[in-house]
Amino acid sequence: MKITDPRGRSLLAAEYVLGTMTGKARARFELWLRSDPGPRREVASWQERLDPLSGTATELEPSDRVWRGIEARIAPRAAPRESWLGSLAFWRGSSIASALAAALLFGYIALTPKDHALTPDNAMVVVMADDRSKPAMTVAWTPQDHGRPRLRIRVIGHKTMEPGTSWELWMLPGENQPPKSLGLITTHDTQYVEVPPGMKAILDQAAGLAMSVEPERGSPTGLPTGPVLYSGTRLEI
Amino acid sequence: MMDAADSLDDLMARCALRDQRAFAELYRRSSGRLLAVAMRIVRRRDWAEDILQESFVNIWNHVTDYSRAKSAPMTWMTAIVRNRALDWVRRPKHETADEDLDGLIENWEDDTPGPAQRLQAAGEAGHLDDCLRELSGQQRQSIALAYMHGLSHSELANHLGEPLGTIKTWIRRGLEKLRGCLEARGAA
Repeated sequence: MKITDPRGRSLLAAEYVLGTMTGKARARFELWLRSDPGPRREVASWQERLDPLSGTATELEPSDRVWRGIEARIAPRAAPRESWLGSLAFWRGSSIASALAAALLFGYIALTPKDHALTPDNAMVVVMADDRSKPAMTVAWTPQDHGRPRLRIRVIGHKTMEPGTSWELWMLPGENQPPKSLGLITTHDTQYVEVPPGMKAILDQAAGLAMSVEPERGSPTGLPTGPVLYSGTRLEI
Repeated sequence: MMDAADSLDDLMARCALRDQRAFAELYRRSSGRLLAVAMRIVRRRDWAEDILQESFVNIWNHVTDYSRAKSAPMTWMTAIVRNRALDWVRRPKHETADEDLDGLIENWEDDTPGPAQRLQAAGEAGHLDDCLRELSGQQRQSIALAYMHGLSHSELANHLGEPLGTIKTWIRRGLEKLRGCLEARGAA
């Protein structure tokens, strides 16, 4: 199907609107849409043609949190936060990531029945997402674990660690508090990190976690120095 | 003052002037339908609500582009919601709800009022219902499942038990026929 042929063009627009154009083709088509009013018109026509199908579902009443979330995000911003913390995507409220957190968490716990320390009614979870809100790593622990508390980490994404670098996990205590290192982690699918003594109580109240790329032996300054690959807010479930 | 008689067009124009009350009214009037659109594609309430939320933030941020779109406000907003929902279900790691999909297909097959009848019942179909009726059952079903429930070619192939090429052909021919029919009737 040639893009120059009007019949083919209309079909491409139709498949784009229908959603059957996927992957690279969809991405390419979207690029083209941005620069060319021709296909934009075709797309608009197909949207109009098929739109009546959208009205056939029974309307649903969204829960209040949806509007509250929208309001919070369209309201004029408060004073910008400081550099590093301010740059973390989750401070802006990554709601898709947090919904996914719940979704993943239940799947995740269901998949690990032997891990009795993590029960669905009492777990802290941080789903760490990359800059596109795509979940890349989950961290879970139990708040009542006073013995030798440890974090269970699952790496979901398959990002590779560059040679000569390390991944350092950070706890973000919350408002105006500097991140605290939880140590270095690996790229293994499942791993555990012991919580340093005295940090457990803060961790249970932490705003979230972040992971940054650091020199081989970790951050030389005690604060993150490299780019933040993943971050997420803490959920208690 | 917010007036019940304000059209969606008026509300959109006021949103472009950063009128948050107009935006709240726009949300009040359209969110029920848009949530249903998202829900049919992602099939989970919490996901659908997140998509709705993201979409409205997007609508607020891009409402000034709306005038260029030259479509009805609801069509424009629906396209935003559908795009997000489609992106969501096409994510590589998406956990697919296969049983749901099976149920969905069965429902389509069993439903006495088919999509065309439902369209007519919805009372806003214009010529689309007539034209959908002119398609073969397979063409109609493939198009409706793709549009309403966000199924991909391969999902359609899996779930309708037909080869990928067959599905693609049904959809293409169906779409061409649909366009021909709608144009002949003077619609879009």
